[in-house]
Amino acid sequence: MQNDPLTFGQLLERHERELFAYALRLSGQRADAEDLYQDTFLAAFRSWPPPRRGNERAWLYKIATNRAIDRERRAKRIVANVDDLALAAPERDDVTLADLAGAIETLPAGQRAAFVLRKVQGLAYGEVAAALDCTEEAARARVSEALKKVKAAVA
Amino acid sequence: MDVVIGEARERLLAKAKKEGLATVGYDVLGSPLGPLWVAIGPRGVTTIHYGDEPSDSELQRLVRVYGPGVVPDHRRSSALARELDQYFNGLRREFDIAVDLSGLTPFQTKILAATAKIPFGAVSTYGAVAKRAGNARASRAAGGALNQNPIPIVVPCHRVVGSNGSLVGYAGGLDVKRKLLAIEGADVARRH
Repeated sequence: MQNDPLTFGQLLERHERELFAYALRLSGQRADAEDLYQDTFLAAFRSWPPPRRGNERAWLYKIATNRAIDRERRAKRIVANVDDLALAAPERDDVTLADLAGAIETLPAGQRAAFVLRKVQGLAYGEVAAALDCTEEAARARVSEALKKVKAAVA
Repeated sequence: MDVVIGEARERLLAKAKKEGLATVGYDVLGSPLGPLWVAIGPRGVTTIHYGDEPSDSELQRLVRVYGPGVVPDHRRSSALARELDQYFNGLRREFDIAVDLSGLTPFQTKILAATAKIPFGAVSTYGAVAKRAGNARASRAAGGALNQNPIPIVVPCHRVVGSNGSLVGYAGGLDVKRKLLAIEGADVARRH
């Protein structure tokens, strides 16, 4: 495991690609993803240092997820842009990106975050739970519920 | 994706700087001696490190003095990059850029200040530098302080050699020391 980051630059260089991809997958739009990326890192810099040693990744996901949910509550809608999503997610199986983007878009914010964290970003359930500030059981339930909906939508 | 992130990062860092969150800017510069990790603080150059990543102790010094706001910043390093480029190409004998030795001990600071006075193309000895810093008997300690020089090349610790003319040591390696002295046309036998 890497040492704890000493500087903002280290935090940024270690995690910005992953967080930007997450922001893109969550919001589906490049402009929104840039805002979310910026908000997330600025919030992290302002509340430095990372609260749990060695766990700055989950900390960043948590900030990003909370900010994304807040934004969505304010905006009340997110329109997925398939081209932007294509930057972040390679095509999988025979489900097109358009199908997947559409299905993810219809999920409620909390379920969408859980789904993207687990199924797209590949986080362990413990990390998903840390990012969403819920129990591992609740994280599993959200992912499972989201998965059902996404499967039904792309079926 | 890299271009997209690059643009997003520029905007993020501009905002962080505006908020006073970003205090030191760093960059990795190419040079005939290999990559150099450089950092610029509010008072001038704080670090030149041989390699593309600083050591933890160098970062710790920056954080101790300026806080954790050490961020990538190409713009801030441009003046240093230009001066180094001129130096490596034989077009510059002295550096005009300000240096910042904050966070060092008073002894280190004195040794480095004495070293900064050795002119281009000349060499001095550890003993002479120690003497100029006020303690003629501290030549070994002077060697230690020079080995920890956070701003090599600009603070020319490569111009300090052993009393018998041997190169002794250099944080960037003896080859690098030899190359720097060759760029300057220094005659190791003739000591300052």
